[in-house]
Amino acid sequence: MRTVQVTRRVDPHLNIDRYDPEAELMLLHFGPQHPSTHGVFRMDLTLDGELVVKAVPHVGFLHRAVEKLCESLAYVQITPIVDKNDYVAPMTNEQALNMAFEKLLNLEVPRRARWMRSLFAELQRIASHLLWLGTFALDLGGALGGGSTVFIYCFRERELVLDLFEEVTGARFHYNTHTIGGNRHDLPAGWSAKVHAALNVIDSRLGEYERMTLHNKIFVVRTQGVGVLDAELALELGITGPILRACGVDHDLRRDAPFHAYDEVPVKPVIATGGDCLARAQVRLGEIRESIRLVRAMVDNVPSGAINSGKPIKVPVQTKIPPGQAYVAIETPRGELGTYVISDGSQFPYRLKIRPPSLHALSALPYILPGATVSDAVAILGSLDPIMGEVDR
Amino acid sequence: MSGFVHGLGYGAVIVTVLMTVTAFSLWFERKMAARMQSRLGPTMVGPAGILQPIADVLKLLQKEDIVPLKADAVLFNLAPPVAVVCAIGVAAAVPFSPKVVAADLDVGVLYVLAIGAVTVLPVFSAGWASNNKLALLGGMRAVAQSVSYEVPLVLAALVPVILSGSMRIGAIVQFQSDHHWFVLWPFFLGIPAFVIFVLAMLAEANRIPFDIPEAESELVAGVTTEYTGMKFALFYMAEYVHTLVASALAAALFLGGWDGGPFPPGLHWMVLKTFLLFAGLYWIRWTLLRFRSDQLMRLCWWYLVPSSIALVAAAGVWVVFVG
Amino acid sequence: MGYFTDGLQAMRVTLTNLLRPVTTVEFPKVIRERAERYRSSFALLHDEQGDELCIGCLQCERICPSQVIAIKFAGKRESPITGKKRGYADDFILDMSACIFCELCVQVCPTDAIVMTRAPEVPSYTREDLVLTMAKLYANEKSKPRAWGDATRLMAMQEPPKAPKPPPAAPTASAPSGEGTPSAGEGTPG
Repeated sequence: MRTVQVTRRVDPHLNIDRYDPEAELMLLHFGPQHPSTHGVFRMDLTLDGELVVKAVPHVGFLHRAVEKLCESLAYVQITPIVDKNDYVAPMTNEQALNMAFEKLLNLEVPRRARWMRSLFAELQRIASHLLWLGTFALDLGGALGGGSTVFIYCFRERELVLDLFEEVTGARFHYNTHTIGGNRHDLPAGWSAKVHAALNVIDSRLGEYERMTLHNKIFVVRTQGVGVLDAELALELGITGPILRACGVDHDLRRDAPFHAYDEVPVKPVIATGGDCLARAQVRLGEIRESIRLVRAMVDNVPSGAINSGKPIKVPVQTKIPPGQAYVAIETPRGELGTYVISDGSQFPYRLKIRPPSLHALSALPYILPGATVSDAVAILGSLDPIMGEVDR
Repeated sequence: MSGFVHGLGYGAVIVTVLMTVTAFSLWFERKMAARMQSRLGPTMVGPAGILQPIADVLKLLQKEDIVPLKADAVLFNLAPPVAVVCAIGVAAAVPFSPKVVAADLDVGVLYVLAIGAVTVLPVFSAGWASNNKLALLGGMRAVAQSVSYEVPLVLAALVPVILSGSMRIGAIVQFQSDHHWFVLWPFFLGIPAFVIFVLAMLAEANRIPFDIPEAESELVAGVTTEYTGMKFALFYMAEYVHTLVASALAAALFLGGWDGGPFPPGLHWMVLKTFLLFAGLYWIRWTLLRFRSDQLMRLCWWYLVPSSIALVAAAGVWVVFVG
Repeated sequence: MGYFTDGLQAMRVTLTNLLRPVTTVEFPKVIRERAERYRSSFALLHDEQGDELCIGCLQCERICPSQVIAIKFAGKRESPITGKKRGYADDFILDMSACIFCELCVQVCPTDAIVMTRAPEVPSYTREDLVLTMAKLYANEKSKPRAWGDATRLMAMQEPPKAPKPPPAAPTASAPSGEGTPSAGEGTPG
């Protein structure tokens, strides 16, 4: 059951000079320096009082020329660089990248490494959605108030997941634990007991978050009917992930195109109808629950064996990938993250392109912002969960 | 003349104590908010961080004082002190004990509400004079909010006036001392009026859940975006003082002021009730998300105003037929 | 009315958290213990006889994605401990302000010379202090707690499975001693 928008389709290229010849509308720059633009992002809002008439997003403030940089880095050096794209869910970045290289090399990843990668990806999904919930509450409730309380609670639980990653890889944030052919770090002894302990805590606290946000009338009234995105427009713009599932479209790459361990541990995607901010919040909270269930199913049953079927990195220039091109897409907490690599037989890739899901999510802004108030604009932007690192690369 | 000296003396004492208590309440709020968020709060400056407000004030004092080029300098500079003065001015008519009151005016309630209403002007002039669109948006929202919430505030404050028959706050407290606190009896009038009064007070003081004018996530700092240093501090001090004094007012009007129930009355009861009330207000602040502007307006005009009109009518009926 | 009941529910949550023990600690009086594999700073090691392990092969300099390592290799010279001629690094500079802590330099070292330490924090007051010179790196060997990973251990963890040895020709010979798939490190989940 898909969501269909009942209002007319908005014209995002409205000519303001002709629409408003007497210049009565106000132009507000939701500039790059703003507490709630989720990174450096600029929106030019043309306002009629409090209502938005036209919104023009500007991206590129965080552009670091990552794709060009990778053209001069050996394949094994690219993983820690690509960590910094979607800096909230780095495991999935590394996963997509190395899957693309393995596809070009026709290298099969051992079963243990496949399970470990999926396990890390699901844990990362929990951490990423917790961060999203915290920042969304901050947008709605203010840094000096209830929003910051939810923010701190979410980060307190997120720390548990980050501690788990620290046990395995040694780093809390940018891991560099995936490599061509498998993983670099194996699970230490006693790790799965820690995972269960952490998940029990997170599971028990989810009810608390819902009481403060999802089931709270103020939150519901702020997000219901706000920023309705219809399924046709979402599909047209290439939006995937929780935003698409909140419009009622049943599409999840983990189930439709299973990779790694998802063919052995099936995923049940969380769908909601409504297409508004509340639906997206429901989908993401539901996904935290689903990921907890998946991790609990996977963590005790990780098959034993080796974790790497490629050559461990010993010499920087060792990996020369024969000429070819490959595109691999996985389901990250934000949607479909794709890595497209063209190799020319040398030790450096000829071209590395990353398809960020947040960029497509942001492209919906000119369509769904007009008609909303300024407060709604902040809520809508927060609910789209953009991460500027991967939007700008 | 003696009245003037009396007012000046007690007024100075009250203002001094008020400022000190504001500083203490700043520390208390930060500690309480921190413990609610599973963290420690200020710990380094002084034992358990109790000197933190002094450190904050010193920090703000040494900041550069910037006035934007195209800002209306007169209004820009006048707004913060006027806001603080209006907030402190409310404390003049609130009796903290039968003897400790700066000026127990015969029209105390009217005076208090009028001075409280003036706080709209400095907020809006700050928004206008800053020459900043975000501040302007904040200022416009502040005017809409404050002016609208004056209505339920006044009407809810009328209920104790009607029930006790006097506008002098000292007389209202005396009436509660002789009979019952208004939240206890008649509770079906006292409790709703108290709740409406507290909500309207939160809206006047721009506190969450009604802090749209300084909505930090939307408008950077709203009305106070262009302010730096001590002027910025004055705005926030005005908000704290306003909350404190308005809790004292609510304690006096509804909770019996300096009356202690079965125990002997005294200043300490007033202090305790004020303290409990503003702890409750901070608790609300650090828990709830904020309303959107139009939802705020809707809450006021669709729910609070009709209920408060009904309450005033019911209070009148009560007094005529029962009390 | 829903606002009141939901508001009270939310306030109940904050009250519960108010009564819970605090999660944060008073840093820097209390410093949390880091995981065994935590990677923060660097150290260069000596071997058991006291000779420097670094042979100046420049592998870590080549693999670093941020190019923060600068090594001066001036040829082989006699070791003061063993007397044999071997390579030495004359100067080793690691700029920690640009390091991305990816552990690749640790992995490629053929002699396990460079390792990471798990010091809980490595701040400094000046930028110059963040540039680790050779003296500082050798001093870190004793002064900072070691992380778990060095090249040998990391390589052992990542080695792909060896192909099983073919069974011996004689039919009465015993079965090949389990060389099939060595389980990696201490890997099996407990």
